[in-house]
Amino acid sequence: MPKVFYIQPDGSETVVEAVAGDSVMQTAVRNGVSGIVGQCGGSLSCATCHVFLAEENADDFAPVSEDEDEMLDCAATEREDNSRLSCQLVLADGQEVRVTVPEAQL
Amino acid sequence: MTETTTAGTEFPFAPLPPADAIEHLKRLMADRPMTKTTMPYGGDVWIVHRNQAARTILADRRFVREPFRTGERIVPFFVPFPDFLRTTLQFEDPPQHTKLRKLVQKAISPRRVRDMRASAVAFANELIDGMIARGGVRNLITEYSVPLPIEMLSSLLGVPSADREKFERWSSSTMAVAGKSEDEVATDLAELSAYMTDLIAQRREEPRDDLLSALAHAREKDETLTDAEILPIAFILIVGGFDNTANFLTTGVMSLLHSDEQRELFLTDPDGLAPTAAEEVLRHGGFALGGPVGGGGGLVPFVATEDVVVDGQLIAKGEAVSIDPGSANHDPEAIEDPGRFDITRKDNPHLMLSHGLHHCLGAPLARMEMQVGLAEIFKRIPTLRLAGEPVVRRDVLTQPMTDLPIAW
Repeated sequence: MPKVFYIQPDGSETVVEAVAGDSVMQTAVRNGVSGIVGQCGGSLSCATCHVFLAEENADDFAPVSEDEDEMLDCAATEREDNSRLSCQLVLADGQEVRVTVPEAQL
Repeated sequence: MTETTTAGTEFPFAPLPPADAIEHLKRLMADRPMTKTTMPYGGDVWIVHRNQAARTILADRRFVREPFRTGERIVPFFVPFPDFLRTTLQFEDPPQHTKLRKLVQKAISPRRVRDMRASAVAFANELIDGMIARGGVRNLITEYSVPLPIEMLSSLLGVPSADREKFERWSSSTMAVAGKSEDEVATDLAELSAYMTDLIAQRREEPRDDLLSALAHAREKDETLTDAEILPIAFILIVGGFDNTANFLTTGVMSLLHSDEQRELFLTDPDGLAPTAAEEVLRHGGFALGGPVGGGGGLVPFVATEDVVVDGQLIAKGEAVSIDPGSANHDPEAIEDPGRFDITRKDNPHLMLSHGLHHCLGAPLARMEMQVGLAEIFKRIPTLRLAGEPVVRRDVLTQPMTDLPIAW
């Protein structure tokens, strides 16, 4: 079972046991993790599920696609090198992932 | 056993006091996820009540809008759906929807909107200066709630300052805020179309940093957009961007004026509380005005392309389905104490701006305008009060308020 560690801007951490095949965004929304909105439901058209992916997980997912890249430019909080849209981070069995939630999504 | 509540499970239901309406919705949602209803126009539609069922449907690509766009089906709705709206983005399905949406998205993204915030604050204060200078009883709608979003959208689209008065007249007419006849509206819409077509041609010649320029030049990136495609984009932004935002801003001011407790709280930190207050107005503002609330709302419907079971209910291939945000926003499974108007509410999964592929494209802009609009007026005029009842036009799609007397 994958596990996601969500770190809030104030440093507090929420750990959620996820379902393989779900995205980091879906897992957050289903479990009421604040700071991840996912307004477009994962169709790459809102940039409201922006997260900073921990360095140790950098190679665990497919690289940023062209569409994701464009949407990251639109995010409310300035993007950084480790910025991802969490709807694009699909979890595999046994994976442990750490993401930091940005200050603002809207 | 004696029945202790009068709340029923019928739908739609006639206007009830807000607390009773919420009790009615609660019972309705406990009874079933959705109700098949015959609309005044376009026939039957499943109206979805529960929040999670609504999200499931909004995220499911097996529900489409093509039959409405092509005219094969009449949109099941409360009023005839205007033809010009059926040509807009919200009636497109992928892949055309994806292409068009992507082009507009960047211009109206959270980042771009953040950069517009300072000018929204400045313009709101100009409007407030004007109201204060004129004094007496003012009309919040025409002097504040409508001009603010019009200015922001004109700026976004790239309508020159000198033309904004004309633009406002045409656009307001389109949205029926002006209370014009059908012929007058048609004339104004034609003039607006001609004006926008000219403006697009100008921006093709000499692009600027605005949305019309971006759309006019999208063809260079092999994403060819014709005027016939650009115009509906402008129109949908006008529809969503003026009338709806103006209505929500007015509702926000009114709902705060109706709750001494929440207004006093808001006045302690208008800028800090504006984001959660705006969300709560979107979710519950209509209920916080104190007047009776009916059950029977619905977003633009979809059609099922195959048999789909949602929350135990079969929606058969070809059937229409629509989300009732008023109900979904008061689902006790999704919202804690849904009957309470709480401007500090953090977990607020309301569906007033929809969800999924067709979630409101202008959501970042609408949110910013509501936040700025609410914060600035209460900062400048903390003694704001209602000086009469609002005038509401109930015969048009968005049911706009046209007059709200305020004083201080």
